[in-house]
Amino acid sequence: MSLLALGGFLLLFILLGVPIAIALGAVAVLALVLGPGGFDALPNVALVMYTGSTSFPLIAIPLFILAGAIMNSSGISRRLIDFALALVGFVRGGLAMVSISTSLFFAEISGSAVADVAALGSILIPEMRRRGYSKAFSAAVTSSSATLAVIIPPSIPMIIYAVMADASVVQLFVAGIVPGVLGGALFMGIAWLLAKRYGIKRARRFRWKRVVVTFRRAAWALILPLIVLGGIFAGWVTATEGAGLAVLAAVVVGGAVYRELDRSALRKAVIDGATQTAVVMLLVAASALLGDYLTETRVPQGVATAIMGVTEDRWAILLLLNAFFLLVGLVLHSAAAIILVVPIVMPLVTAAGIDPVHFGLVVALNLGIGQQTPPVASVLVTACSVAKADIWEVSKVNLNFIAVLVLVLALVTYVPAVPMGLVDLIYR
Amino acid sequence: MTCRAARLLRGFLEFVVIGLMVALATVVVVGVGFRKLGAALVWYDEIASHLLAWLTFYGAALAALTGSHIAVPTLVERLRGKARLVGAVLAQGVVFAFLAVLTYAGVLVTGSLSGITLTSLPQVPQSVVQSVIPVSGALFILAEILRLAGGPDSGERA
Repeated sequence: MSLLALGGFLLLFILLGVPIAIALGAVAVLALVLGPGGFDALPNVALVMYTGSTSFPLIAIPLFILAGAIMNSSGISRRLIDFALALVGFVRGGLAMVSISTSLFFAEISGSAVADVAALGSILIPEMRRRGYSKAFSAAVTSSSATLAVIIPPSIPMIIYAVMADASVVQLFVAGIVPGVLGGALFMGIAWLLAKRYGIKRARRFRWKRVVVTFRRAAWALILPLIVLGGIFAGWVTATEGAGLAVLAAVVVGGAVYRELDRSALRKAVIDGATQTAVVMLLVAASALLGDYLTETRVPQGVATAIMGVTEDRWAILLLLNAFFLLVGLVLHSAAAIILVVPIVMPLVTAAGIDPVHFGLVVALNLGIGQQTPPVASVLVTACSVAKADIWEVSKVNLNFIAVLVLVLALVTYVPAVPMGLVDLIYR
Repeated sequence: MTCRAARLLRGFLEFVVIGLMVALATVVVVGVGFRKLGAALVWYDEIASHLLAWLTFYGAALAALTGSHIAVPTLVERLRGKARLVGAVLAQGVVFAFLAVLTYAGVLVTGSLSGITLTSLPQVPQSVVQSVIPVSGALFILAEILRLAGGPDSGERA
């Protein structure tokens, strides 16, 4: 089957509303059956899909989701929020800042933006509403800070990217630290300005006693990511093993130390996490089928040669890839976009001399921005549903935070030292 | 009848995926523990990888039942009347055709693996490990039928 026909069928199936994983699998089967092997090649469908789903690094995905689920069902999130509130609750727009800081912190365990919004938004959005924040402001700050959290380690899109691009997961995690913290600081500045514009008053006075009491209650929860990420960054455990440790630590802290594990909430969160994992992994498995075809036809190399024929300038190619991934992020879920597009553009990235770790951050941020922009905006939709807010009203306020995300993206893209400085310092 | 069947299937698949999540976490934690104690378990990463594959396929059947697979909200939703029906039938036809091929291919593969075992755990036959494809494929088809028939929790696709 010609490449054009294959692309045409894939697009048709996706436009008809066929789940993307199945659309990928279906066109791969067509290519296989119409190829030289004919129907004799059918058993390959099962073999390749099975092998494609046995990637050891991807085990980190369900484990980080499970750790996040345990954290959220055991009062850990509540304690983190209380501590953040004691620290910054006295500032104008303090609750929005609490949303930003706990989101970034929570992401150090869970790695999933949608889980982040569902977990923290359900506590913080009603609290913000009580303190006079509009529905739109409270949903926008929750949604966009969860997206920023996607570049804070550990990050599920980064784990998927690392496998698809054959890059180091740990280096990707480290590369996300500086842009994540920088983005968080800028988000807090925007939250302060918006709170001033909307006339939101300070929630409470600052009291040292409150800081000490809430710190004591949250101390274990605060140590948890230090142990897990410390173990990964020091090379003591792999990212997957670190995810296993995160589960163990969450069980010990949530179940044995705090003794507040809500079993029915945990059961639901585990099932949701398993479903979320399976949805992503089926995409990975189906893309393995198509990957074989792409390798044989050398399509990615063709794309690289064609674009390098037009320009060999690294910055121009990065600009092109940025625009392309922003567009893709508008219409595709981030996991699907990484699985579909990254294997095709990697030869171009390598040929242009772009570091795969640097490019991973660029991809994660682009697709993160896509999660904030309708029509396909899973994180934004979740935040709007928790806040019961209109998606367009929220989007208007959210433009402020999206502007920060675009600024961080520009810095990450064109000042490689921002993401790569720490990586070079520690690993190279 | 349909509702009851959907609830039963959902309960079964939820039970399976919870078990797989717990098993996966346990195997990884135990594996790290033993490695740090200097007694690495040879089967740890192979078993963990197979557990992920099982979680993928049984979880995918569960996701089908709840309409959670990632799709793009598109063309068909904008169509009206007969055109919409034709589009929806075509889309569902592609889904069933692919799942039938996957299940059939899984049966062929499983049948051809008799006598072969896992590398690190020779007690475990490959045919049992690979059986997840035909079994979950059949459950996936059943889940799609029950979702279309409007089971209790049938959902729109994500």
